Amino acid sequence: MSTALEFAKQQTRRHFLRGCQLGLASMFLGSLDTARAAGTDALSPKRPHHVPRAKSVIYLHMAGGPSQLELFDPKPELQKHTGADCPQHLLEGKRFAFIKGVPQLLGTPYRFHRAGQSGAWVSELLPRFAEVVDDAAIIRSMTTQEFNHAPAQLLLHTGNQRLGSASIGAWATYGLGTENRNLPGFVVLVSGNKTPSAGKSLWGSGFLPSVHQGVQCRTQGDPVLYLSNPDGMSRSLRRRTLDALGDLNRLEQERSGARDTLARIEQYELAYRMQASVPEVMDISREPDSVHSLYGTEPGKLSFANNCLLARRLVENGVRFVQLYDWGWDHHGTARRTDIRYDLPDRTRATDRPIAALIADLKQRGLLDETLVVWGGEFGRTPMRENRQGDKTEYYGRDHHPFAFTMWLAGGGIKGGVSHGSTDDIGYYVDSDPVTPRDLQATLLHLLGLDPYEFHYLHKGLRQRLIGPTNEGRVVKELLA
Amino acid sequence: MSRGTKGSVWPEPDEPTVREGRHRRRNGMTLQPIATGIRAAAVAGLLAAISMPAAAGPDFAAEVRPILQKCLPCHGPDAHSRMANLRLDSREAATGAEGGYAGIVPGDSAASRVMARVTADSSPMPPTGERLSEREIETLAAWIDAGAAYESHWAFNPPVAPGPPEVSDPGWIRNPIDGFVLSRLDSEGLRPSREADRDTMVRRLALDLTGLPPTPEEADAFAADTSPEAYANLVDRLLNSSAYGERWARVWLDLARYADSMGYEKDSLRTIWPYRDWVVRALNDNMPFDEFTIRQLAGDLLPDPSTDDLIATGFHRNTMTNTEGGTDDEEFRDAAVKDRVATTGQTWMGLTWGCAQCHSHKYDPVSHAEFYSLYAFFNQTADSDRNDDSPTLEVSGDVSTPVLSELSGTERRETFVHKSGNFMNRGERVEPGVPAAFHPLPPEAPRNRLGLARWLVAEENPLTARVAVNRIWARLFGAGIVATEEDFGTQGTQPTHPELLDWLATEFMRSGWDVKGLIRTVVASATYRQTSDATAAALAADPENTLLARGPRFRLPAETVRDQALAASGLLSRKIGGPPVMPWQPAGIWQVVYSNRQWETSPGPDRHRRALYTLWRRTSPYPAMTTFDAPSGETCTVRRIRTNTPLQALVTLNDPTLMEAAQHLAGRAMAEAGPEDEAILDRLFRLVLTRPPSAAERERLLALREETARDLEADPASAAKLASYDQVLYTSLRRRTLLADTRTEAPVWRYTSEEPGADWTLSGFDDSEWSVGRGAFGISRAAPESKDPYEASIRTAWDTTDLWMRITFDIHEPGLDGLRFEVRHSGGFEAYVNGIPAAGDLDGSGVHSPYAMSRAAAASLRRAGNVLAVRAIHTGLTDARRNIDLGLTALSPPEFRLTGSAAAAKASWAVVANVVLNLDEALTKS
Repeated sequence: MSTALEFAKQQTRRHFLRGCQLGLASMFLGSLDTARAAGTDALSPKRPHHVPRAKSVIYLHMAGGPSQLELFDPKPELQKHTGADCPQHLLEGKRFAFIKGVPQLLGTPYRFHRAGQSGAWVSELLPRFAEVVDDAAIIRSMTTQEFNHAPAQLLLHTGNQRLGSASIGAWATYGLGTENRNLPGFVVLVSGNKTPSAGKSLWGSGFLPSVHQGVQCRTQGDPVLYLSNPDGMSRSLRRRTLDALGDLNRLEQERSGARDTLARIEQYELAYRMQASVPEVMDISREPDSVHSLYGTEPGKLSFANNCLLARRLVENGVRFVQLYDWGWDHHGTARRTDIRYDLPDRTRATDRPIAALIADLKQRGLLDETLVVWGGEFGRTPMRENRQGDKTEYYGRDHHPFAFTMWLAGGGIKGGVSHGSTDDIGYYVDSDPVTPRDLQATLLHLLGLDPYEFHYLHKGLRQRLIGPTNEGRVVKELLA
Repeated sequence: MSRGTKGSVWPEPDEPTVREGRHRRRNGMTLQPIATGIRAAAVAGLLAAISMPAAAGPDFAAEVRPILQKCLPCHGPDAHSRMANLRLDSREAATGAEGGYAGIVPGDSAASRVMARVTADSSPMPPTGERLSEREIETLAAWIDAGAAYESHWAFNPPVAPGPPEVSDPGWIRNPIDGFVLSRLDSEGLRPSREADRDTMVRRLALDLTGLPPTPEEADAFAADTSPEAYANLVDRLLNSSAYGERWARVWLDLARYADSMGYEKDSLRTIWPYRDWVVRALNDNMPFDEFTIRQLAGDLLPDPSTDDLIATGFHRNTMTNTEGGTDDEEFRDAAVKDRVATTGQTWMGLTWGCAQCHSHKYDPVSHAEFYSLYAFFNQTADSDRNDDSPTLEVSGDVSTPVLSELSGTERRETFVHKSGNFMNRGERVEPGVPAAFHPLPPEAPRNRLGLARWLVAEENPLTARVAVNRIWARLFGAGIVATEEDFGTQGTQPTHPELLDWLATEFMRSGWDVKGLIRTVVASATYRQTSDATAAALAADPENTLLARGPRFRLPAETVRDQALAASGLLSRKIGGPPVMPWQPAGIWQVVYSNRQWETSPGPDRHRRALYTLWRRTSPYPAMTTFDAPSGETCTVRRIRTNTPLQALVTLNDPTLMEAAQHLAGRAMAEAGPEDEAILDRLFRLVLTRPPSAAERERLLALREETARDLEADPASAAKLASYDQVLYTSLRRRTLLADTRTEAPVWRYTSEEPGADWTLSGFDDSEWSVGRGAFGISRAAPESKDPYEASIRTAWDTTDLWMRITFDIHEPGLDGLRFEVRHSGGFEAYVNGIPAAGDLDGSGVHSPYAMSRAAAASLRRAGNVLAVRAIHTGLTDARRNIDLGLTALSPPEFRLTGSAAAAKASWAVVANVVLNLDEALTKS
């Protein structure tokens, strides 16, 4: 083909729709650089690329990989063939975390019902979610490439299966800043006694400045590390020390002329205000009984329910991104505590009510429209019984399954009542409308008002983006209101 | 599948070069193509035949390249993503002399298609981002009209020692550095600042060279030394102190992505501190940088390598190892090898080779295939993502550390290009080699890591020396001469002082890569010795101090924040090297799946070691340091980006370690200065800041102290805590064993495997028929001399599902608090004290873990004759790990050594010390 013809083709083909957004994008990116150069606050609110549909995000991650087959994706064919050997063609060339040899198909012990106006299928394990199902868009066609916890979690939350990239929440505060400087902009709440597999890297800032890393708020001990004054130092004494500190720092600033000193005086005042505002927002005991009975919360307890209520309080107070991790969804069936018949109902009992309460509560407060709620795990579970120990075990469970799983989104910019995508007869592969972690990331950024393709950070010579180097990530328009 | 090409920034892999255009139109108009291939080719051919003299025109590097850079993602060296068959990264290519589209007609901007495209009303180039400014368009046109002469990127040409420039004030110059700096200041019409005073200089030097503050005595001695050699002697003394190696090792370990754990999900601990200690030793011995390089990259390939040469190869064994079940070892071995290539490029040449693992580099001359030629150098080591990190080298009796070990003969691997960076998607086979844009490997050089290492430190290498001197400069001045320390490629920033950089680089090589010599030269300069104080005018003229009209001033690195406080208070342990330690950190940081290892504060002085020795676990790094921008160690970090957050204020105000330091600092100042408040304050201030306080500062802090003391007199409980903060902090100091587990002794229990009556938990129950045996209980299949503490601890066999155990214990101390069982078991257990439920779990962790005693059970405790009754339940399918071991500990009340007025006085000084340690000046090198 001649070069002239090539040129001509370039002129006539697509890509003209976003011209008007580009101006905004470059203004926006320019403003970030200016902000940095001037030493101003990296977390002050920033203008998005386009009008955002969601102001904040509450991301509920069920670490371990909840079973879509027990919760959202009923498969009558799988029920019928329970106990049959998994067809060989599904196993060829596949690697599983634990399954060896030929596993048997395993139907679910749970019943499914159609729920809400939309008639979406929901398991009997989620009776409360069934009541709010019309607010959610359920994606039954999630698919990922990673079958181990840490890489799968990292891919989902940082766009890279390896350690070292920035997490979605860090990207969100980098791009948008935060609304309330007396609280961290990106808060992480962990339940289930253990941090998720990939550890704190899941809320790290990666190559972004560390000011954007997630701040883990704890429900026991200091809600934010080092928040409490040293034992014996009262708040009034702390105030007095900060007054002296400020006076001396101002003297020093006058002498040296250093501009950083002024910024740092302000950071101390912010820290002092955080000492009051963080415990206040973290103290759920002042919520009325009606709220506690809605969520099933008990002040002082370490629980997912408490974290859900905290999430609402945090977004209500202007926190940009609230990330919940709940460990304990890795139901391999190697013991009672990983059995889909015994432990899974415990997990859903602990989470179903608070999640439904969160959605209802946000809605009732008029916050759901501007708050995006995301639910899901890092992958799904196999339609086959794992049976790692052969005939010796009486327990039932499933191995990690990257090929198909379910997530749902609700609130800010999401069309409620949507069921998106489907899987094959036994739930092994996605058979329509696959949604990848990259698609999900593109969709989240889009809803926050950020252009997933333009939004980047220059690092080591590359335009680093949440959606990775290729443009395969796609905003899932079918989910948007 | 081809979707989502919207606004493509990077190409999708494996698509043909000729593709549909992705250039966006800003309105519906279509531009008519103007240029024809025939004409362009003819012109280019003509021009290629005549050699172009460098005509006067815009400065290529400073003005033109930044414009062209915007075109290179689609019109650069990466053939995969090239659009319209147009290349703009070299003159030959841009003029069509290499057969591509001729976008530029040298000497004729009007005929150059590129100009039409950037000025087009509709769909102007570049397709994304802002359109070129009027000025940029004029520059581009002027450059083309002047002949479109390209210059190769400065950093790819070897440095040449420049001659001394003309300066306005030769008297200011202490060494050649100052000439380059002053000449630049002259051209900008700026003047250097005065020299900093001696207190400032001694603190600056001590922090820079050793990472520790000077003692007031050192400062006094320096202030009193009027000899002309005083400054040089101080520098030598600091460079010769062992603290020098510790401070600069930390700089290197960021590059080495050093950590004490393997990374990934399990992130198990690994023993690689011998490598860290090697770095400290090598720096303290002032090992020449070329040797330092060769040993780390290829120590194992040297003839007769010493143990140290092998330990040095730990540099590239700091890559992560994935020990998670079901992972493909080859996948993670490949990830480690790629990381080694990328890290080598970053560390020695300041290049982003890693970009080329999926596709040819967009800007710099390293192609996709060349990346894999570099990969081939690193692809022949025996390590292979194994759980035991083998191969390892036995350093001493029980210490083995990962090292590189070259495969030989038939074990050697072939290397292929990985299409799209995917190790399973093999392309052409490649041999070890270096990118063609750089000096070649000498023909006689071995095609292995040793050959590569020598190539890196060869005199012809344009980058290694520049990158090394720039790094040292950046640590001393807060920013590099090339600000993007990690990128000396065409995307990086231009050097602020190119001649200075080249002088330092050539001098560094000429000196035999003498690192201490380089530092000595830099700190001897008048440039370094300037005050960092700035007038408003100076700030306005150069806010970032890129021109160096004043001295450096920037926040201390994370490690120094801690080390300085400990050193000033006298708490700092000066022990060098050895296994990492666990200083105090908040509870609950280490809750990571699959890991039951607890963070237990190191005993004795080990909790006050330098930050360098803090155990570093990649997935849960020490929080106080990450808050101050310390990297996690996951990947090579060339430059820490300094941030400024309220969380940092919370650390320095409230971290109990820093409060403990404040308390000790107060105690030290009181002990050393005598009873006068002024003297105590001056001493305290000098211990941290070296300089004495001003009158205003003294007055303000004494007022704070007096008010605080007055309030604390009325609040003795708070005063006692603040005065003896270590008693608050180290509950471990107060923990007492009430009932030992087998880690200290093996107590005698009554036990049975027959289900007893319902009253078996009560004090009055008769257990005299039960068997008698020592813990731990379980099944041991190991030989008695087994090293496994778990196997070795089993004294009494237990092979049934349930085991009932009873023991009686006394409490000798009143006021115990924090009662907890220390339990090791893999199954379930329930514990009762005096018949009252005290603790339990369905599912144990298999290592000793604490279980708090219930309040009701604790309330039932009496001085003597308490009965602990335990039922252990084995829940596993096999006998493996059937065992239980159980003890009981408690905290005795804190012993506050000071009470009354003495406590209030000490506490008030601790509060003042807390303020002084938080002064902006204290947290800043100025």
